[in-house]
Amino acid sequence: MNHLTDEELIEYGYGEGDRSAIEKHFDTCADCEKAYGVLQLDLAEMKFVEPPTRDASYGDRVWESLEGWLSAYPARKQSWLSGGLWRNLSFAAACAALLACAFLGGRLWERREANIAAGRHPVPARPTAHPPQRVVVVVLSDHLDRSERLLVELKHVDADSTEMVSPLRDEARSLLASNRICRKNVKQEDDPALATALDHLDRLLAEMANQPGGLNSATITRLQDEMNKDGLLFEVRVLRSRIPHAQRAGANSSKGGIL
Amino acid sequence: MFRMDMNDHATIQAVLSGKKEAYGTLVARHSQSLFRVAFRITGNEADAEEVVQEAFLRGYQKLEGFESRSNFGTWIYRIAVRCALDRIGGRKVDDSTRIGGETDPEQNEVQVADEAAGPDRLLLSGEISAMQQSAMFALTPTEQTAFVMRHMEDRTTDEIAAVLGIAPNAAKQAVFRAVQKLRQRLATLRVKI
Repeated sequence: MNHLTDEELIEYGYGEGDRSAIEKHFDTCADCEKAYGVLQLDLAEMKFVEPPTRDASYGDRVWESLEGWLSAYPARKQSWLSGGLWRNLSFAAACAALLACAFLGGRLWERREANIAAGRHPVPARPTAHPPQRVVVVVLSDHLDRSERLLVELKHVDADSTEMVSPLRDEARSLLASNRICRKNVKQEDDPALATALDHLDRLLAEMANQPGGLNSATITRLQDEMNKDGLLFEVRVLRSRIPHAQRAGANSSKGGIL
Repeated sequence: MFRMDMNDHATIQAVLSGKKEAYGTLVARHSQSLFRVAFRITGNEADAEEVVQEAFLRGYQKLEGFESRSNFGTWIYRIAVRCALDRIGGRKVDDSTRIGGETDPEQNEVQVADEAAGPDRLLLSGEISAMQQSAMFALTPTEQTAFVMRHMEDRTTDEIAAVLGIAPNAAKQAVFRAVQKLRQRLATLRVKI
């Protein structure tokens, strides 16, 4: 007789798998039934620290912390077309567009094949230069990514460990230079939130990079407090997550996603 | 005028029509469940709170892509789990570069043996729970998240697979590996006690 595998028992223990077949097997196999009993005990003993409770106003507090960072979606006008009819019309239009694309694609393909057969190769498309703004956005995105990583490390760093603190200072020095370039670029655009965050970041990076005698435990603790008080990490996260939108709006390029 | 008793889909329509404050209702409605799962995955309150904020922020930015056939609670839950997973993933990479005794199984065993000698069984139980917690954080991020969703959040294999973006069989394997590792740790604790 083949015994049930641990995997099958675990699956059964969590209410999945072929339950009737497993139960039938238990009727004829005491070993598997016993093994399942032990597994049940083990699973029951796997108790972990329960999440602390949050009061009823927790959600409101989360919203308060977010509200200032979100810009409203542009208002949409409701019309008689909205609803089922509009959806059906959209679907029909999409189907028609798809058919038209398929037809045109077929025609172009035929033409291209004919050109190749006649020995005329299509002229390769000239690569289009990316708008300079996109380069700035990419540089900024990279800078914010690195800054976020540094802030997370600063937040969790063991202030007494010189091995861990020293790389932070090196990274802060490197980021300080790129932060100044980003600040310079941002000054030319009307984005006060970004400019303010980069200013905050500049102060913190400068302290980390240029602290006389290096970063000691007291300085790290003070910087952590300042960072938490200013909500700098969250600020950087918000700005970083805004980048795909900026890229889409500014450079009119492909859609970005951050999930 | 925005009404507080609107369902999630109507609320989303209101948000997308320019009523930003409507999103506050969704945040209030789903914050608690997001905090619970975020805490279970990250293991600390500060990280869990940041995960909740980040999830709602990402949710807002991607709200136009939300499909009306979906359930907002499931959708935002999925985003929160991904945020938490990103966070513990980064943390585990950092931890793996450290040299120290905190991940040394021998050291953990010794600590349990010392505590077991104490008279207070309740305290001991708390210590065991803490040890199990630390054993859970020794799992890979995928195993840990799959286990949390299965064991604590009572999610099905298909839901776990959807959230982690892996095949159902891979999700099942992740839960299986997590349970096996935790059982091994539990057996060690029993021997020491």
